[in-house]
Amino acid sequence: MRFFVLFALIATPVLSAGDNVEITLLPQGSVLTEQGLEAWDRIYEVASHPRCSNCHTGESDRPMWSGPSYGQARPHGMNIQAGDSRDGASFIRCVSCHALTGQGGNDAPHMAPQVAGTWQLAPVEADWFGRSSLEICTQLRDPALNGDRDITALATHLDHDVILHWAWTPGGGREPAPYSLQEHVDDLILWGAAGMPCAGDVSNN
Amino acid sequence: MQFVVNGQPRVADVEEDMPLLWVLRDELGVTGVKFGCGVAQCGACTVHVGGVPVRSCQMRAGDVNGDITTIEGLGTPEHLHHVQEAWIEHQVAQCGYCQSGQIMQAAALLTRTSNPSDAEIDAVMSANLCRCGTYPRIRAAVRSAAQKLRGA
Repeated sequence: MRFFVLFALIATPVLSAGDNVEITLLPQGSVLTEQGLEAWDRIYEVASHPRCSNCHTGESDRPMWSGPSYGQARPHGMNIQAGDSRDGASFIRCVSCHALTGQGGNDAPHMAPQVAGTWQLAPVEADWFGRSSLEICTQLRDPALNGDRDITALATHLDHDVILHWAWTPGGGREPAPYSLQEHVDDLILWGAAGMPCAGDVSNN
Repeated sequence: MQFVVNGQPRVADVEEDMPLLWVLRDELGVTGVKFGCGVAQCGACTVHVGGVPVRSCQMRAGDVNGDITTIEGLGTPEHLHHVQEAWIEHQVAQCGYCQSGQIMQAAALLTRTSNPSDAEIDAVMSANLCRCGTYPRIRAAVRSAAQKLRGA
C-alpha cells in the first residue's frame, strides 16, 4: 500500500511551488481510502485544535477562548461580537486589538495575536468548534460549504492565508496546532487523492 | 518617522516596532492617552487612526497608516465633542483614568451609528474596562451623546 503511494508520488506528481509550502498534487484515486481516512484523522486533529476551531464558530459570531491555557472553554471575553461581517465591523473591529502588522506578531503572553492580515472569524459555513470528525469531514468536501474549492484550491488557500499560518506559530505560550503547515497540506492532498473519504462512507477499494 | 496627530504634522525619531502609545506619550508628549495593561485587554489607550479606534499599545509605529486623533483632538474646552459634553453632563468619570479611552471608543461608535441600542453600546464598549464601575453612566452618556448628535 505504501509502495503504491510512493510510486504515485514519484511517477506522476504535479509539483507546484507555493509561496509558503510545496503543493504536490497526486492523481485522483492514487491513494487508498484507508490511507485517506488516516490522513483525515490528522487533518481533524488540526481542524479541531483550539488554534483553528476557536475562530470557526459557525452561526455564532462570538470567537471562542479554549485550549490548554484557557481552562474551561468560553466565548471571547469583553463581549466581543464579530457580527455578520465576521470581522467586527458592526461593533468593534477585530483589528482594533489584533492589529494588522507587517512586522511580526505579538509574542508575549495574553497579548492579542497579530498577523499581517485582517483578523476575523472564518465564514459561517466553516462550522468547526465542537463538531465531530464526521461533521467537519462532510463539510470540508462539500463545495457548497468549503467556499467552492476543490482540493487544489483548498491547498492553495492554506498556502496563502496568513491567519491559518499563525496557528502553527502562535507565540505567547500558546500551544501550536499539531504537525506543520506543510504536513497539513500534504495530508489534505492525500485525502483529496483518496476521494475525500469520511468515516462511514461505503468503501470503494 | 512622520505622523499627523490631531491635525498637526509631527516627527519622532523612533524604531518601527515602538508601540504607538509610547510614541504619543513619551516621544510627542500627548499624554491624554493612557497606558493601562499593554496587552489590549483594557482599552485605556484607545485612539483613532484613520478614523478607526485602535489600541495604541498594540499598533507599532511602522504600521500606522492614517492620521491619529487622541482625546486632545476630539474637541476643545471651548467646543467640546458631544460625547465629552455628555460625559460631563452625566458625571461619568470617577477616578477618570480609563475615560479618554472610553470617550474615544464611544465617539467612534457614534460615527458609525447615530442611534445605538443598549445592546450595541454594550457590544462596542465592553472591551473598555473601568475599575470604578461607571458602566451605567457610560451607557447613559453614550445615549445622550447620540441624541445630541442627532440634533434631538
